[in-house]
Amino acid sequence: MSDDWAPTLYWLPNPVMDTATTRGAPRVAQDLLVRLYGRVPNLFRLQNELPKVVEAEEQLIHAILQKEGWLSRDVKYGLLSTVARARRNKYCWSLHSRGGAEQSACSSVLERAAVKLASTGCTFSAEDVGSILRSGFDVESLLDVILTVSLGQLLCTLSEALGPELDFEPTTPLDPLPLPELELDASPDAGPFLTAPARRSFDFAPYATLRDTIGFIANLFHAQGSHPDAIEAEVNAIEQIVVPEEHLGRTQKETIFLVLAAANANTYCVALQSRVLAALGIPEDDIRQLAVSLKPASLSAADLVLYEEARKLSWPVSGNEFLTERLRSAGFSTTQILEACATAALGNLFTTLQFGIGCVPDFTPQRVFTSKDLYRFAVQVRPISDVVAPDDPDAELVRQTQSGNKAAFEELVRRHNRRIFGTLAGMVGDLDDARDASQEAFLKAFENIRRFEGRSKFSTWLTSIAVNTATEMLRRRKPTESLDDATIEDDFRPRQVQQWARDPEDLLSATQRNALVREAVSRLPYKYRVAVLLRDISQFSTEDAAATLGLSVPALKARVLRGRLMLRESLAVHFTHSEKLNA
Amino acid sequence: MLSCAEFLAEFGDYLETTAEPGLRARLEEHLHECKTCCVIVDSTRKTIQIVTDSDCFNLPDTVGESIVTEVMGRVRQKS
Repeated sequence: MSDDWAPTLYWLPNPVMDTATTRGAPRVAQDLLVRLYGRVPNLFRLQNELPKVVEAEEQLIHAILQKEGWLSRDVKYGLLSTVARARRNKYCWSLHSRGGAEQSACSSVLERAAVKLASTGCTFSAEDVGSILRSGFDVESLLDVILTVSLGQLLCTLSEALGPELDFEPTTPLDPLPLPELELDASPDAGPFLTAPARRSFDFAPYATLRDTIGFIANLFHAQGSHPDAIEAEVNAIEQIVVPEEHLGRTQKETIFLVLAAANANTYCVALQSRVLAALGIPEDDIRQLAVSLKPASLSAADLVLYEEARKLSWPVSGNEFLTERLRSAGFSTTQILEACATAALGNLFTTLQFGIGCVPDFTPQRVFTSKDLYRFAVQVRPISDVVAPDDPDAELVRQTQSGNKAAFEELVRRHNRRIFGTLAGMVGDLDDARDASQEAFLKAFENIRRFEGRSKFSTWLTSIAVNTATEMLRRRKPTESLDDATIEDDFRPRQVQQWARDPEDLLSATQRNALVREAVSRLPYKYRVAVLLRDISQFSTEDAAATLGLSVPALKARVLRGRLMLRESLAVHFTHSEKLNA
Repeated sequence: MLSCAEFLAEFGDYLETTAEPGLRARLEEHLHECKTCCVIVDSTRKTIQIVTDSDCFNLPDTVGESIVTEVMGRVRQKS
């Protein structure tokens, strides 16, 4: 990809001059919310102090949900309810569930796509799009689906941030939906998924607004050419929520967009926001650091709190809730907090929209985010690790392989190659041995695939074979190393108790950190090494890692914890410094 | 209140934010009083982040393709 892809910058926005205007944005009927919900829901009442923001949200609802489009209203309610079930959002469930009618209108194909798009959008692929199109939807309906799921994200994010009281008691209790297993090998650049519609003309009013406010017309908007009302509502939301400087500054809100895009691992939106922030005068190094770690030296303590709290809104995690009080303590007013919430909600809408559409970046990305980046803040943010998907995503390929289709097996090899190799490389410590063990494991799996009955996931079964293969290899190679469970380091106690540096990753280069981690992992006793590799390197859920090793969940957890503490002990000496070390 | 040994045996779920509320409250009560365990929690979290972020066991593209080629070559011979 080259810089030739960059669109023309019509005007570099001036954050001081560029205050809210209402150019070309039609006002929706004031009673829309009442007509839709029978009253103004508490979610919007809580934002009474920002009427323009509520109007912008209302216009999005009007354009995406209320307006007759390609999908029926019941299907749209079904999609909104599905997003609420995936996010375990009782408020939005109560707002959009219709006693089951909406769920029966929403097919299982749409439901699966909606959950994936909402929870791990960066793995949404051409295959997912194909499954929707094959089930009878056309491209315009597909864009309706993506827009509705994106609206669901916005409404759920707002309610998770603001915590409104329920307006209605739901007719049925919320039944949470399991999240899909994270596809760590998913290609991050699989789009565009939608065939390009006819572009709106150059003088389309929202495009003029975009040229004025962000300086260019992003591909994300071009790709929605068949839905001009949606473009209009989205651009109006930018103009009413992000651009005004009355409460939070424009730069703060654009940074919230950036932080949300990075937390959702959205390469496109990070590249776009980086360009917008650069145009607002933020140094490129600061932008890069904001995207990956919130650590630019120039960041004030208050802004750090603002962005840390906003980042939590990418996905709800019990025990890691958005903390209004923390923002108040940092000096933010009610209206500023409301604006931050609305901005984060809009950020989630745009990242979901982009994941669904899959449009190509407007600018060359400095960094390509992948699904593995969802784990960047894993300890604090993503709940995926302990969610067990009920369906095996490999089931169909396994069935085809069992019927003699070797191409299906090749697809399974490609799908699992990276994870199997990573686990084995960590176990045996030598890349050539890891390659040999990987090949041996795949061949054993092929030879035995007819015996695989699907009682566990294929990935679990395959990894068990791989771990056993590597164990045998280690037994042959290092007969002196104890690989038995009988060896228990009961006397292990943490000895390094000095405070670590606030940002330990800044102390060493990535190459140095990799070498240290490789060395520390290789020194772990075998059973802890395997547990940590499955959990922290290969990103298995606790349940899947336990099943792979034939352990109970508590036993696996104990090994992972012990392994992590031992790693901590090994790494401590390198990360308790406060000064940068030279290579 | 939990002892440090009890805390260290139990804080795995706390790290992953999956501790049930009662246990979480007891762990936090201990943390409130014990600076050493605070340091251990903080540094273990940072350890997990460093390890998770690391790409030290990544599969080089050329090796990845060679595994597929080798495996599928041998699979096709088995027909």
